[in-house]
Amino acid sequence: MDRKATLKREDGLWMLRRMRLIRQTSERIARLYPTNVMETPVHLCIGQEAVSVGLCRHLRDADKMFLGHRTHGPALAKGLPLPKLMAELYGRTTGCSHAFGGSMHLIDLEHGLPGSSAIIGGSIALGCGAALAAQLGKNDYVGVSYFGDAATNAGVFYESMNFAALRKLPVLFLCEDNGYSNVMPKSAHSAHDIVSVARQFMTTLQADGTDVLSVYEHTGEAVAQLRRGEGPVFLHCATKRWMKHQGHEACDIVDNGIDRERDCPIRKLEAFLLKSRLITPAELAQIEQAVEAEIDAAIQFAESSPFPDPSLLEVS
Amino acid sequence: MTATETKTGAATPGTKVMTLLEAITDAMRTEMRNDDRVCVFGEDVGKKGGVFGATMGLQDEFGEKRCFDTPLSECGIIGAGIGMAVYGMRPIAEIQFLDFIYPAFDQIVSEAAKMRYRSGGEYTCPMVIRSPYGGGIRGGHYHSQSSEAYFCHTPGLKVVIPSTPADAKGLLIASIRDEDPVMFLEPKRIYRHGKGEVPTGEHVVPLGKARVAREGSDVTVLCYGSMVPMCEQAADEAMQLGNRSVEVIDLRTLVPLDEQTVLASVKKTGRCVIVYEAPKTCGYGAELAALIAEKCIEYLEGPVVRVAGFDTPFPYTLEPLYMPDVKRVVAGIEKTFVW
Repeated sequence: MDRKATLKREDGLWMLRRMRLIRQTSERIARLYPTNVMETPVHLCIGQEAVSVGLCRHLRDADKMFLGHRTHGPALAKGLPLPKLMAELYGRTTGCSHAFGGSMHLIDLEHGLPGSSAIIGGSIALGCGAALAAQLGKNDYVGVSYFGDAATNAGVFYESMNFAALRKLPVLFLCEDNGYSNVMPKSAHSAHDIVSVARQFMTTLQADGTDVLSVYEHTGEAVAQLRRGEGPVFLHCATKRWMKHQGHEACDIVDNGIDRERDCPIRKLEAFLLKSRLITPAELAQIEQAVEAEIDAAIQFAESSPFPDPSLLEVS
Repeated sequence: MTATETKTGAATPGTKVMTLLEAITDAMRTEMRNDDRVCVFGEDVGKKGGVFGATMGLQDEFGEKRCFDTPLSECGIIGAGIGMAVYGMRPIAEIQFLDFIYPAFDQIVSEAAKMRYRSGGEYTCPMVIRSPYGGGIRGGHYHSQSSEAYFCHTPGLKVVIPSTPADAKGLLIASIRDEDPVMFLEPKRIYRHGKGEVPTGEHVVPLGKARVAREGSDVTVLCYGSMVPMCEQAADEAMQLGNRSVEVIDLRTLVPLDEQTVLASVKKTGRCVIVYEAPKTCGYGAELAALIAEKCIEYLEGPVVRVAGFDTPFPYTLEPLYMPDVKRVVAGIEKTFVW
């Protein structure tokens, strides 16, 4: 497909802004995290931004997306307002989950984010349930179960695919495969090829998860199938986790195959947009600065918001 | 400062000063050297040495066959452990956080716990399920819970929770040697809380024997795990503030429970405070309160008081208020005197 001919400037800019929002927010969190201002463990997704952003360009607010523990990127991509994310991380009542969720449990019903589970694989079946609700209620939204490669080790992954395929549910199984289960490489945790297994149950597609345009292209196809009522789709996105599993430090696994110059989804999109003359260097700089200002404002909002009232714990 | 801790860090002969976490590693190392049927496995336990480092160095010493990584499949980990146990091995399965154990709940409750009974005693299931539990590390909902009561409610399981480095080693070795499945729950909040002297080499603390952590005459405090050092501080505070002589009992094993030590203490003091960090309702403290009501109510001079977590999913922002602390335990102690 000739991307240059088909990509609209507004789509390209939207995806660039969202990826920058996720990247710069994550980098800010990484800087602030050691100062203990945040009340919650964090799992950052630096390097993985293309997956959620390419997907969410095709989703509507009404579509329901269930997440795992690495939530910030997908939640922001889906439309969670940044101040509500920051306030949640700071444990303030103005947070998206009213300070009851923390990093791993982000809620935004308005934007189709019913939440996430910190238990690996814990929300895969829930995406099927949302899709079943859509099907039975004759609603036209779709469900998305968004999980990582290690979640395919859990039995519920197979149960969910089987159920979705039998019922022809409008659910997307999106596997954001960053190659590691904490520090265990995929070769140590999976004897199976994930895509081949999924193919036993449904249509499978594969995208380059470090290239937002590849994800955008394949999710377009996947979501179209769901909306046509032709049953579930499995989309595999191979990406790279630049950070440690948890916390603010860079991934320290030896031979992790990460080249930040080569694998950066933002650099890739920026290069493409410049080459295609869809954006100017000045606009790129402008976007970066605007995002920084947005982050400053979100942090200020979080810092000035109250902690939950201790009386919320029943005192006996 | 517990009785086994030392200020100087110098160990008496035949002991080594270590943290509770190091004592757990030492127990596994000791038993793996003693008995080649013992092996340990779970998520990230091999190469990484565990997320808290409990299995650090074991793969290097014993090889990949006896200390190994598994996929992220709690159900599969525990199920495989059961099969190994039934066929002559002594498996130690690590579940990374107790909060992650529920996919394996069926295997534990339906299979492991019932092996001895349903085979009419033909075979047993000598496995240990090790898992860090409890709050106090700002881990949020799924890295903080105290789910011990679910397992205490299942006949066929033993439930062990150490509170000192020496006990951690001695109880874990006893658990590995036990013929039945043992839930060995580790208070991660005090993994590195303080150091204590731990006997080197062979050290067994029998299951079913509580420890009188501190003797007293006015009121008994029953506790376990990470609550023990805190309750000892509360005992000091209650002495200073109200001249109360507090007896602190570290239960060590919830199942089997050392009823004798518990009842003897409550009969002696006539008052009892039960401290646990799990949600209050149907927590292990409810069982202790019922036991005291059944077997020594005539000795009580005040109501049995529970100081526990609240009946809520674990609150990450309000964690410091959720966790029982010295202030709440002292208030609980005083409550037993207002009668």
